[in-house]
Amino acid sequence: MEFVDALTGFRVDGRRPNEVTPTFPFPTAPPRVTQSHSVLLLDFAQMRQLKGEVGVVARADGSALFEMGNTRVIAAVYGPREVQNKGQQVNSKEALVRCEYRMAEFSTGDRRRKPKGDRRSTEISLVIRQTMEASILTHLMPRSQIDIFVQVLQADGGTRSACINAATLALADAGIPMRDIVTSCSAGYLCSTPLLDLNYVEDSAGGPDVTVGILAKMDKVTLLQMDAKLPMDTFENVMELAIEGCKAIATYIRETRKINGLNMLKIASHKWITHRVKGLLVEDEWLCPVQWTGNS
Amino acid sequence: MRDLHLSLNQTQRVRLEAALHELQSLAPAAASAAAVTVADTIPVNQEDNILKGHGTSDQDGEVVATLCGVVERVNKLVYVRTLRARYKPEVGDIIVGRVIEIAPKRWRLEINFSQDAVLMLSSMNLPDGIQRRRTAVDELNMRSIFEENDVICAEVRGFQHDGSLHLQARSEKYGKLERGQLLTVPPYLVKRKKQHFHHLAQYDVDLILGCNGFIWVGEHVVVGEKTKTTEYQQKSSDDAENFTPLETRKHICRLANAVRVLSALGFTLTVELIIETAEASVSSNVEVNNMLGAEFYVQTAEREAKRRADLLRKKNGAR
Amino acid sequence: MVGLSEGEKHFIRGGISQDIRTDGRRRLQFRALSVETGVIPQANGSARVRLGATEIIASVKAELGKPSILHPDKGKISIFVDCSPTAEPTFEGRGSEELSTELSVALQRCLLGGKSGAGAAIDLSSLIVVEGKVCWDLYIDGLVVSSDGNLLDALAAAIKVALSDTGIPKVNVSLSAASDEEPEVDVSDEEFLQFDTSSVPVIVTLTKVGRRYIVDATSEEESQMSSAVSVSVNRNGQVCGLTKRGGAGLDPSVIFDMISVAKHVSEQFIAHLDSKISEAEAAAE
Repeated sequence: MEFVDALTGFRVDGRRPNEVTPTFPFPTAPPRVTQSHSVLLLDFAQMRQLKGEVGVVARADGSALFEMGNTRVIAAVYGPREVQNKGQQVNSKEALVRCEYRMAEFSTGDRRRKPKGDRRSTEISLVIRQTMEASILTHLMPRSQIDIFVQVLQADGGTRSACINAATLALADAGIPMRDIVTSCSAGYLCSTPLLDLNYVEDSAGGPDVTVGILAKMDKVTLLQMDAKLPMDTFENVMELAIEGCKAIATYIRETRKINGLNMLKIASHKWITHRVKGLLVEDEWLCPVQWTGNS
Repeated sequence: MRDLHLSLNQTQRVRLEAALHELQSLAPAAASAAAVTVADTIPVNQEDNILKGHGTSDQDGEVVATLCGVVERVNKLVYVRTLRARYKPEVGDIIVGRVIEIAPKRWRLEINFSQDAVLMLSSMNLPDGIQRRRTAVDELNMRSIFEENDVICAEVRGFQHDGSLHLQARSEKYGKLERGQLLTVPPYLVKRKKQHFHHLAQYDVDLILGCNGFIWVGEHVVVGEKTKTTEYQQKSSDDAENFTPLETRKHICRLANAVRVLSALGFTLTVELIIETAEASVSSNVEVNNMLGAEFYVQTAEREAKRRADLLRKKNGAR
Repeated sequence: MVGLSEGEKHFIRGGISQDIRTDGRRRLQFRALSVETGVIPQANGSARVRLGATEIIASVKAELGKPSILHPDKGKISIFVDCSPTAEPTFEGRGSEELSTELSVALQRCLLGGKSGAGAAIDLSSLIVVEGKVCWDLYIDGLVVSSDGNLLDALAAAIKVALSDTGIPKVNVSLSAASDEEPEVDVSDEEFLQFDTSSVPVIVTLTKVGRRYIVDATSEEESQMSSAVSVSVNRNGQVCGLTKRGGAGLDPSVIFDMISVAKHVSEQFIAHLDSKISEAEAAAE
């Protein structure tokens, strides 16, 4: 299977393997081509198209929707609130962080009935919890509990990374103090080329898959997972590529938060007809960031 | 914290956008304050002994933001203010809370804070009004004063050394709230003012703006009748005579919907604004339930833009 | 769900009896409904429906399978509901299992008809490709993203919208197959058959509080109910399914009355939903 076309150098969905230049604002391009269509020349970032949006679940303290290509994930944060189950509270000087990862039954290509709490979900829940715990300043909220719930609506490779990015946005939306923005991205190695941000087709090709999560500004790695095998020097290249991807996502997140915070009405072209308006309006001494998102 | 989900047609979208633009442009010049995200460095002058407030931390000698929001500077204090966050209590705040649990000699209340607040039995007036030491009988009769899920109005007394928040409800105006509805709005929309209890005589309605974002709209209860709780409970059956009168109920619903619309738009809640919105709905002949619709939403935004523009013009004219 | 104090409950009951509920609605009025289609591109059909603050995402996936031996001329449909913990913290882990099962069973009862397949909302024989050998299996999944009461009505509406958005690919069967061999099927990527959803019913849940019934209860009002009857009615006014929940016993005459009220309310609701569906489809193009 030609994951990287020998002549043109493009991947199955038309991206280049290793440029990392996300254009901003992201163009609203048509969806990526799948392998049944011929490869088109799409001239922009070879990370998949990113989209992040906050405030999708009204009831939660903070929530976010994050998309990486066709992978779509909702994260909701409830907290900090009183600890519900005192037995779980280990350290009373810090907040208790809990996380649950769930996939919708229609999220994968072949619909499979998966029981709750299967091994993969439990493992990913644990991974997300540990990654976010490293960044949340838990000592500022003793004797309280922060719940992070992540629901996958559509899975097309890179769900772990999308979940972590969505959780970061949701925590920021909830006003929970954090050390730094945590972003995550995956990279692989197929046809002797390191590839950034694998989709499902590339992921199931059997090549190695490296997932990296970093604290963006402090430039520290908090999550590193790999399966299959890679020679050491190739591994370094692939990991570098993944880290670059993470930094690009961090830039994107920062820009969207800044835009939301700086009185710009973001009127995206919408598929969702409804509008959710959220913002403060000006009183004499208070600032009014107005953020009006047409969900798209 | 609820946002209204509305379908706006094209003209309504355009009108709303125009109104919001106007409101932004009316912002004072200080609106250019810096917005930061997590881990952004806040520019400070290192020689002034800057006090690092909420949302900041010290990393390698630099002041770094830990929240996403706007940087505020007040004299030597630098802090970051977020848009949405849980309630941050201050001593003397009037809050509305719901009883979660009855523990030995205290009630635990949920007040939209990171922990439950505690109302000690000794911080509460006894039903018979006598100031005396609480005995074991009083402790067993705690349920007759407040039960689980009751809505209570109280005042923040302070933080204890173990970090828990204590409330007090000694005055006559605090206590159980009945016959009405409780609304939840983001706490930043309720500013601390001199008065949080509002008796709207023209409607015969009590409006309590809790600083924690819980707003109570209910029938008016004369202060002093609040302590007669036991008799009240016996009377509350399903007889039609015991229900709130229809007129009062309509007013309560209108005010509640006004609060919902204003909080969805993100306007700071003041009594005057709430009353104005409710009256505007009456004068425009909007049905009570249509107040949550798209048309009234857009109209409220336009009205507020106009009001602030007029205010600014008057201020500038007076100078 | 948060509990309610006695005073608040009294207020809600009073509102229902006086025909002006806490948000100003009348007893038989629905909340604002908003509908959107095509939200899950990977599925054959999908919809996102908001009824007030309750939000549901429904998806329909079609896969080729073998029909059951008892009904070789019918396809298969299965309905599952999942409650996401993003809606309620109490839904995490196994907390939502009971509710999900209850909702799934109620929907199956209303939409799938009896054991023989009679009375199903969708004509199962239209799902057959090769009789006895190949048929379409439809998997309908509902996900509760945000919950504020009246989940059943919202789920049924979402399923109806998702089905109206569903396109089943055209299948070309190679005619040369012998009768005992597996026939070759060629699933077309280009052509789709739209579903005929005119006979798909909607569900109207009537919640009895005191002596009155209300439609589209919020979660606060649901906590006050003595019993609830969910009636599934289709466009012709025929009752397709019935579920009663809640412990209080009901007089049979009361149940008949509730059914007729549900039929009356469902007419407007179906018309409203249909107009929203055509709006959404027009917007999608």
